[in-house]
Amino acid sequence: MVKLFAISVIRRPIDGPPDGRCVLLKGSYDLASFGFFQRASVKEFMSFSSQTIVERTSPATRQSVKEQEFFCHVYVRVDGLSVVLVSDIDYPSRVAHTLMTKVLDDFSSKFEWRSVGPEALDAYRDLDQTLAKYQNPREADALTRIQTELDETKIIMHNTIEAVLERGEKLDDLVAKSDNLSAQSKMFYKTAKKTNSCCNF
Amino acid sequence: MSVPRRRRGSSKSEDTEQLLPATKSTGNSSWSGVEDKENMGRDRTAEFQSALRSLQGRQQVRQLQPNPMTSANRMNRNLDQYTEFMRVAKSIGKNISKTYSKLEKLALLAKRKSLFEDKSVEIQELTFIIKEDINGLNQDIAKLQKISRGSQTVNGKHIQSHSSGVVVGLQSKLASMSTEFKNVLQIRTENLKEQRTRQDQFTQGPVTSSLPPSALTGFYKGSALVPEDSYSGGDISIDIGDNAGALRHRQSQLLAQDETESYLSSRADAMQSIESTIVELGGIFQQLATMVKEQEEVVQRIDSNIEDAEMNVEAAHTELLKYFRSVASNRWLMIKVFALLIFFFVIFVVFLG
Repeated sequence: MVKLFAISVIRRPIDGPPDGRCVLLKGSYDLASFGFFQRASVKEFMSFSSQTIVERTSPATRQSVKEQEFFCHVYVRVDGLSVVLVSDIDYPSRVAHTLMTKVLDDFSSKFEWRSVGPEALDAYRDLDQTLAKYQNPREADALTRIQTELDETKIIMHNTIEAVLERGEKLDDLVAKSDNLSAQSKMFYKTAKKTNSCCNF
Repeated sequence: MSVPRRRRGSSKSEDTEQLLPATKSTGNSSWSGVEDKENMGRDRTAEFQSALRSLQGRQQVRQLQPNPMTSANRMNRNLDQYTEFMRVAKSIGKNISKTYSKLEKLALLAKRKSLFEDKSVEIQELTFIIKEDINGLNQDIAKLQKISRGSQTVNGKHIQSHSSGVVVGLQSKLASMSTEFKNVLQIRTENLKEQRTRQDQFTQGPVTSSLPPSALTGFYKGSALVPEDSYSGGDISIDIGDNAGALRHRQSQLLAQDETESYLSSRADAMQSIESTIVELGGIFQQLATMVKEQEEVVQRIDSNIEDAEMNVEAAHTELLKYFRSVASNRWLMIKVFALLIFFFVIFVVFLG
């Protein structure tokens, strides 16, 4: 069952070795699958591991890390803005990376992230919407959506061709019957003509 | 003088002996065997033994004979070259028949249309072997041709034409075998394509096949980076020394590059599969259009048949109307005729009575 748990945008300093100076800019979590009392701890665990992973990752790289039963996809951009996506094992990683790139682009276009205050961050609800939307990767990612639609279309086309073949058979049937009909009508005409021509009183 | 004559005599019998093995190695013995069965009294063992002796003598003569340049031995040399030629031709013929049997086996294997892929290894091995055989046979026939051309200047005309005919026959056999080989390979590729389309119909689409590899690559590279967390009810403690951290950092760099590449390559794969699906769909649409166009003609035939039937029915209907009218109007005529008849009958009765 593919599921996304969290997206977090983290600012990471690119000069010198990072030592815990990664700042979580914004995170959105979808922890409905965990029990009520575990949610807080899971959330903290996720944010902490996201920050740790970002610290460990060098700029301009992508990574997918497996951890217990989660997958952490991380993408650190050249200028230090990075995003971490926590999902379960079945989530396709290509879609995850596409999503992360998109989130980063949106985020960086929305604000000047190097110096943004917490109020503006709070008002930014797009992350939640994106998280909700990408819970179903088939529909959200353009490539997979195109692929599924094409497959459906191919199946429909196969059915269409079979229907056309049946139509061909029925048309052959019709041709035979109409041949029969025209022959019989011709006989009918000849008989009528013959009755008319002979023995006229 | 008697020595060369004897040699010539023996070599002539060798000539006839060698012609027969060159064409059919087994035919000679079976033919003589049939003769023995049919004519019980005809005992050919003497001929058999003389043939044996001459063959043995020939081999000994070959071993003992040096390379003289006298004219008496020149004809022997020609015949020796001829025997060489025939021997090589015989071996080539045997190889060709062997390769033919292998090709038939390959054709049988390639024609199987089941969904099981077990035979593909054998098929590949067989194709490789057959290719090597065909190449070897090609070279052998080229050598044979060179031999025949080299000895052309000293041999007689008949021997020349015979050897060239033998070479041409072998070449034509080889050519037919290579065309058959090509056909078999084409059949095999078509069957492979059919199998693949059938597998695509039965399994899911390429969506699922393109995603797991990228997921797998993430799986294998992941565990090197994040240390094993001791996650117990919320307490997370991580211990990393500086050296280990740096090592992991370098590892992560290498892995990260692969990760980007794998991500990009998975994207490229998805694009390619989409493109191939689109092309397939285009082909399907094309086929659909062709089929509908073909059925168009049938529809027109139906149309014309029905029109003919309608015309005939209309005409018959008019005929019947005419008939009915004539029958209806005829009644008055009938009444008049009967009235006339009764009138004459009455007159007749009155006249008589």
